[in-house]
Amino acid sequence: MSDLARFQAAFAVALADDDGVISDLALARALSIHRNTSVKAAIDALAANFPVVRRLVGEASFSAAAFAFVRAQPPGEPRLCVYGADFPAFLAAYAPYAEAAYLADVAVLERLYTEALFAADAEPLDGAAALVGLDLETPLPLHPACRAHAFAAPAASLWSAHQDDAAEPALDRLVWGGEQVLITRPAGEVHVASISQGAFAFLAACRSGRPLGEAAVAAAGSGEDLASLFATLITAGAFADTSHPSELNI
Amino acid sequence: MDTTAGLGFKPEHLIDALLAQDRGLWFEVHADNYMVEGGPRLAALLALRERYPVSLHCVGLSIASFEAPESDYLAWLRRLAEKVEPLVVSDHLAWQKADGAHHADFLPFPRTFAALDQVVENLDRVQTALGRPILIENPSLYIDLPGHELSEADFLSEMARRSGCGLLIDVNNAYVSAANLGFCAAAYLDALPADRVGEVHLAGHTPDGDPESPLLIDSHDAPVAEAVWALYARLIRRIGPRPTLIERDDNIPSFAELMAERGRAHGLLALAATEMAAHV
Repeated sequence: MSDLARFQAAFAVALADDDGVISDLALARALSIHRNTSVKAAIDALAANFPVVRRLVGEASFSAAAFAFVRAQPPGEPRLCVYGADFPAFLAAYAPYAEAAYLADVAVLERLYTEALFAADAEPLDGAAALVGLDLETPLPLHPACRAHAFAAPAASLWSAHQDDAAEPALDRLVWGGEQVLITRPAGEVHVASISQGAFAFLAACRSGRPLGEAAVAAAGSGEDLASLFATLITAGAFADTSHPSELNI
Repeated sequence: MDTTAGLGFKPEHLIDALLAQDRGLWFEVHADNYMVEGGPRLAALLALRERYPVSLHCVGLSIASFEAPESDYLAWLRRLAEKVEPLVVSDHLAWQKADGAHHADFLPFPRTFAALDQVVENLDRVQTALGRPILIENPSLYIDLPGHELSEADFLSEMARRSGCGLLIDVNNAYVSAANLGFCAAAYLDALPADRVGEVHLAGHTPDGDPESPLLIDSHDAPVAEAVWALYARLIRRIGPRPTLIERDDNIPSFAELMAERGRAHGLLALAATEMAAHV
């Protein structure tokens, strides 16, 4: 082991141990500054990626939870814009939120939002094109930014009620129950919506690579109108138009 | 020169930035925030790039680490540089990674000859992967570590000479380190090799809470201090005009307020260019 490696290993240990006693006062101060800077950057990244969880629990509580997470699972790479993949699971097991299981659901939704935000670019399948040449024997590819998840909590309604542009009584009108949530990125902006069980079954079949005909059969079990279900998903930008690969997509 | 003073780009300033008409304006982004597959953030950067030179400032190469730079990170940086065709790619003379964790700060190390060898080797890997030289920024220091074998100015000079990299001189970092460690910032800046300096950074700092012997923190959350402006004027009078960036990462003010600081740097650069021309 080189001197540089030995120094960096020892410095990193001292940095991670904020309860440790460092007799050298100058070193203790420097460690404290570096610790504050790196922990603040990681907490700020979580605050940016989980803004609704933060609104739901308040800034002080969020900072405490984020601090505990950063201590347990510090960033493993420099790209802090994607930090927090395991934050939802951490919140699910976080004792202070044991009575608020919906927080972990909202966190999962926000993680999917981040994934959708940074997913590859692709042309969405448009309605007119969809009517021409759809093949029931072929799987319909999902757009790279498309995410769908079934929640026990009304995650999409909670999320929507905590946006800046939410209508005032949004929370009062909230009906407590499970929601299937669709996240898409039509025209470069991420959209969050709750969708029907049939639409969710349709997307799940598409996600697992089953042909369009089988996806329709899966959705039909819900008894919903397939044409309007399909139109809703197309309008949301859930599918990719593979006949026009995007130039931006590498 | 085409690019004079620039601004650290903030997504909330996109429209203002695209509408600005200022001569010599350019932008810098934290490259790490754009190392993603696609989406609106990357699209905004490419729209900005249509109008202005853009440079990529990295925080993750961990160039002074005892290990080689991460290949995944290098691949992201290469892909981003291919899309953006940046004016400059830069990172810091510091390390961040240890035992699988990434510390989002610029950590110090003893400037030994062995460390210099390691930094040059790491830079070779990065510059080979990118197919271009990069710039390395002087760090803000909070402690005078034992065991240095080279001064920071000598370390930076040797690193640049051996690796072919350029230097990004952050005048605020020099001021902060000098105040914290008790050396003369002007003498430090005077000792840097003029021909290696490819860019200059200016930012604000804040004192920590200690009433007896405050340390200055490189916080990027305040306007550039007057003492830093004075050091900057002295630096560019000596080395000539260089692309200069106003950095602000916290307490982000309006675009107009940042542009006012940028205008001050632009004015000093024009003055330095005039003085240089008069000395031919």
